[in-house]
Amino acid sequence: MTGFLEYVPGNSLLHRMNPVAKLFCALLISVACFCTSNLIFLACVLIFDFALAAHCKMTRQAMGLAKAVTIFSLILAVIQLLTNSTGMVLVPLPWGYIGTGGVIGAVTIILRLVAAAVPLFLVMYVTKMTDLANSVVKVLHVPYKYAFTFTSTVHFIPVFMNDMAGIMEAQTARGVQFDQGSIVKKIRLMVPLCIPLLVSSVRKTNSAAIAAEVRGFNLRTRESGYKQYPFATLDVVSLVICVCILVVAILLGVLL
Amino acid sequence: MIEFSHVSASYDGELAVLRDVSFRIEDGSFVAFVGTNGAGKSTTMRLINGLLKPTEGQVLIDGTPTTELKTSELAQRVGFLFQNPDRQICNNTVREEMMFGFKALGKESPEAEVRADEIMAAFGLNPDDDPFLLNRGTRQLLALASIIVLQPPVVVLDEPTTGLDFRECTKVMEIIRRLHERGTTVVMVCHDMEVVADYAESIIVMSAGRVLAQGPTYELLRDRVLTQEASLVAPQMVALSLALGSQHPQLANTAVGQANTLSEMERALGLEIAEGGEPR
Amino acid sequence: MIEISNFSFTYRESADPVVRDINLTIPDGAFVGITGAAGSGKSTLTYAMNGIIPHCYPGDFYGSVNVCGLDTVECDLTEISRRVGSVCQDIDSQMVSSIVEDEMLYGLENFGVAHEEIEARVAEALDAMGIADLRDRTIDSLSGGQKQKVALAAIVALRPEVLVLDEPTAELDPASSVAVYELLRRYAREHGTTVVIVEQKIALLCDYADLLVVIDDGRIRFADRPENVLEHADELLAIGVNCPRSTTLCHDLKAAGLYEGAVCKNVNDAVAMAEQVLALASSEEGGAR
Repeated sequence: MTGFLEYVPGNSLLHRMNPVAKLFCALLISVACFCTSNLIFLACVLIFDFALAAHCKMTRQAMGLAKAVTIFSLILAVIQLLTNSTGMVLVPLPWGYIGTGGVIGAVTIILRLVAAAVPLFLVMYVTKMTDLANSVVKVLHVPYKYAFTFTSTVHFIPVFMNDMAGIMEAQTARGVQFDQGSIVKKIRLMVPLCIPLLVSSVRKTNSAAIAAEVRGFNLRTRESGYKQYPFATLDVVSLVICVCILVVAILLGVLL
Repeated sequence: MIEFSHVSASYDGELAVLRDVSFRIEDGSFVAFVGTNGAGKSTTMRLINGLLKPTEGQVLIDGTPTTELKTSELAQRVGFLFQNPDRQICNNTVREEMMFGFKALGKESPEAEVRADEIMAAFGLNPDDDPFLLNRGTRQLLALASIIVLQPPVVVLDEPTTGLDFRECTKVMEIIRRLHERGTTVVMVCHDMEVVADYAESIIVMSAGRVLAQGPTYELLRDRVLTQEASLVAPQMVALSLALGSQHPQLANTAVGQANTLSEMERALGLEIAEGGEPR
Repeated sequence: MIEISNFSFTYRESADPVVRDINLTIPDGAFVGITGAAGSGKSTLTYAMNGIIPHCYPGDFYGSVNVCGLDTVECDLTEISRRVGSVCQDIDSQMVSSIVEDEMLYGLENFGVAHEEIEARVAEALDAMGIADLRDRTIDSLSGGQKQKVALAAIVALRPEVLVLDEPTAELDPASSVAVYELLRRYAREHGTTVVIVEQKIALLCDYADLLVVIDDGRIRFADRPENVLEHADELLAIGVNCPRSTTLCHDLKAAGLYEGAVCKNVNDAVAMAEQVLALASSEEGGAR
């Protein structure tokens, strides 16, 4: 049973990479996606994303993610479709028309967001949160407090989701029908549930903070980490490849 | 009646948590599920109230498979008390909490209000209290009260005494006993064997996703092979009686060797002396 | 050694003290059980021992609490934590990592244990709790009992002088609860660690604790060896603390004049008692004839 954004153990190339290198590579790919609107380039990046996902046996998760991002970007795509009246007229609208330009723009938005998001999320799946935090502290000198805040937030997402599921279950058992009725009715049913969730979250975060403190949270420095995160050839090669991708993207953006 | 016939179940289609489980719970009985953590007891409870559907086999409530019942229909037949009352309580006053089930089912009525008042009085709950300021034991009572007020013919209790102290535990269990005496079918999961032995008429022993045995409580708790296999800790008086019976074979078939409860053991120890001392 | 004298504490948001006039001395290496009804102040007393009070919960603190030579008010929490290891009730929220090994490393790294020593400490603590095979597992995939052992191992690895545990077996079945107590007792004996446990299951404390502390309404009612505390069954019942059935049986037999002897705290004691009661009957029988 693996939850959203939770580490999936494995031993692929991606699993073995330096966490910081992974993070940077993902960022470089994402930035590259925003530097150009070249559809072929974006499609290539997307294929590359899925090749990576397939390599570390994360295709199922990547597909799920891609789907979620697509749904989100559809909103932006529709806006683009309705407002970008360029190219050939396809469908006339009262304020303009849907043109080929709009269609291309819409497709670009979806491709770009998916291609940019997948590597970032993939990093979460192939990297232990603690490794990411420790290496960011060690290599990038980020203060531990911030790293810890980030990791605990991510750590608590599944805990809270589990809580919410439990609360909804308890209410379902009392006859509350979450699966029926209008959205308004559903929301009205959900609102009271926020109270138990809030109560339990406050209690949980409080006890988590105390637990961390009695285990020496305040003493932790950059040198504390036991594991070392050296850059290996693999990391350097990967970074170079990703920089190249970015350069290609910028060139495409400038030239075309 | 609750009937499981060859039920298997799993979460997310992964490893089966329950494997080929079959049993029947007759109306009006008081049954406890016992077994270690992870034996499949809670999963069984979730199957009874339809929160989980079986991957194989059927769960029948009064002859109807849970797959054909809506959760709201199930909620009226089976009341469910969760281990953690904090997940259930979500209203600002005790009264609202008591009426919440009626509201959810769309069955608010003056009679419902009257019934809620009666139960609050019987449980010693103050209608205007804020549930979140009550202590754990009282919250558990409130959660139970808000289930009972709906008058389900069956109540399912998932570890109703966990986290409660002795007094709170007794209070909750006595209310459940009275409920049972008035005809409600009670199904519970409980780790405390003393509580199980005191209240349940029969038990269903589970281990590693299977049912090992179903039968009268003391009969099964006296079965050493069974308790060993299911890692159960027998109640102290049963353990005492069994230990005496096995260390002194002449006691095995006497009242001492057969005593199950504290009063039986006391009578047995007292009576043995009286019988041994007087007649000759 | 833990020395608590004239200690009272009132949480900022409440009017009355939660614990009051506490005087308690716990010798090094003792296995101490604290019990009492809900809301009696058990947890608050342990918070005083591990420094969470006054450092995390503000309020009025009277008297003094001295743990391993440290005055808990004057030292900061981190200083106390070096000597006192704590496991809270809510295991899930105190886990900081997703993998057992990382969970083990966290405290060791923070307290600056030499890096070359860390591996040995991790292995030893995992072994002591009997969970060496769980090292690479994700914490999500563990059962409640396993998580409890991981939480204990992570604290034990820090080699604290005192272990303070708040209801470590609340969510466990009886067999796993006994297993956790066995591990704790063995570990504590081998390392001379003082153990303080808040526990609702009094039968367990009677079997494992050297010192049983019973709290009622913020005050210590009893602090003695379990068998001595159990002499006061009626008073215990009156303050909402249940005795093991063997003890009740013992008291009832005593009241009826059928048994005179040491109080029973578990089934083994009760077996011996029953044997004595039955043997007595047979000798009387002989005399009558």
